[in-house]
Formats: sequence, C-alpha cells, structure tokens
Amino acid sequence: MSYQEKKTIVSILTGILLLVVYCIYAFSKAQSGIVASDDMKFWATTILIFIGIGVVASIVIQIVFHILLSIAIAVKEQVRNGKCNDKEIEKTLELEMVEDEMDKLIGLKAMRIGFAIAGIGFIAALVSLVLNFSPAVMLNIIFFSFSIGLMMEGVTQLYFYRRGVRNG
Amino acid sequence: MAKKIEITNNIRKLRFFANEMTQQQLAEKAGASRQTIMAIEAGKYSPSLELAFRIADAFGVKIGEVFDYEVKGD
Repeated sequence: MSYQEKKTIVSILTGILLLVVYCIYAFSKAQSGIVASDDMKFWATTILIFIGIGVVASIVIQIVFHILLSIAIAVKEQVRNGKCNDKEIEKTLELEMVEDEMDKLIGLKAMRIGFAIAGIGFIAALVSLVLNFSPAVMLNIIFFSFSIGLMMEGVTQLYFYRRGVRNG
Repeated sequence: MAKKIEITNNIRKLRFFANEMTQQQLAEKAGASRQTIMAIEAGKYSPSLELAFRIADAFGVKIGEVFDYEVKGD
C-alpha cells in the first residue's frame, strides 16, 4: 500500500471518528432536553467547535501518522540491513511522499465527487426547509453532507488508486 | 466516432534490459512516484506526454520504443 493510500485511509478514519463524536455529543444533548432541538445558537456553536476540532485533529493525526511511518521504515531497515540510518529513513520518506501528476488527477476526480455530494446535501437542506422541518435539521443536513462528501472524496481516491485512472 | 485506442508500453522489458532497473529507480529518474510507474506499467494509467518523454529519456530511447497503441474494437 502506497503512502498516499495510507494517508487517505487515515483522513477517512479521522472524519468518521469526528462524525461519531459529534453525533454522540450533539444528539445526546438535544435528546436529554438540556437544549431545545431548534436552538440554532447551540447547533451553530457545536458545529463551529467541531469544525475547529476537526482541523486540529487532522493536523495532529497526520503528524502522528508521519511519526509512525518513520518508525515503521526504521524497523524495516533494521530487519533488512541490521542497522537503521537517519538519512536512509529521511530519503525513503521523501521518496514515498512524492506527489505527481497521477496523484493530482486522482485528487481532482475525487474532489468532483466530494463537491457533488456536498451540493446534493445543500439542495436537500433547502428542501427540508420547504417541507417545514426545523432550521436545525437544515444545519445538520449541510454539516453531514459536507462531512460525508469529504469522506467519499477519500473513498473515491482509494478506488482510483486501486483500479487505475485514465486521462479525460 | 473516433475509435478507442489502448496505450501499451514496454517498460517492464526496458527495465530488464537496463540492468534490471527497479521501479523506484525509474521513478526517481522520471520524477514520478513509484506508485505511478507501477500503474503505468500495469496499464492502469496513461501518463501525460511530458512524463512519457521523461520515461523514454530515463531509458535513453525514443518515446515510440516505450509506448505504443492498439486500436480497440476493430
């Protein structure tokens, strides 16, 4: 499995984890009656906080991922050569992290899928308002569609890395 | 309607004749990732013209010796 695939899997798992934590936190609060389910200020604050947590968590998890990857490379070197050299590890990491035209093409194709899902979610959110659902439902549909769009972007990337991609 | 073509390549053969050059070595010479070289070799990715020229240059041959095409559905 290549570096790009591993990185994408880590991103998808981070996204799933955040969404699960958001559901547990926000919906348990709404169900327990501490906040009214149509309290827009609560939902907006919660979503904003989770966007912030998401950004920080993805940075921290990527750093941890790179540290673990370096350790894995060092262990592999140790097993293969009986010693591990810092320069060798650095060089292997650099070679693994090369991003070229295929990665960019896959990224663009996957982004298109992500945007399509986010767009569908936005339309669904508007429809929910037309159907007299609470604005909190609309806000949640938008948040979920963007989060799921991001995850599907990752899944699409993995699909193209496995199946291959053609220009055009 | 334009006929479909499938791009084929001789990268595996050329690597063998280049003293069994590894995919990683070719990737470094062509300025691409090993993943991309693997995908091109397996016919899963058609490189840009620029990368195709760089791969040919890495072997020191003309682009036509590395890549060819087959017309599909004839």
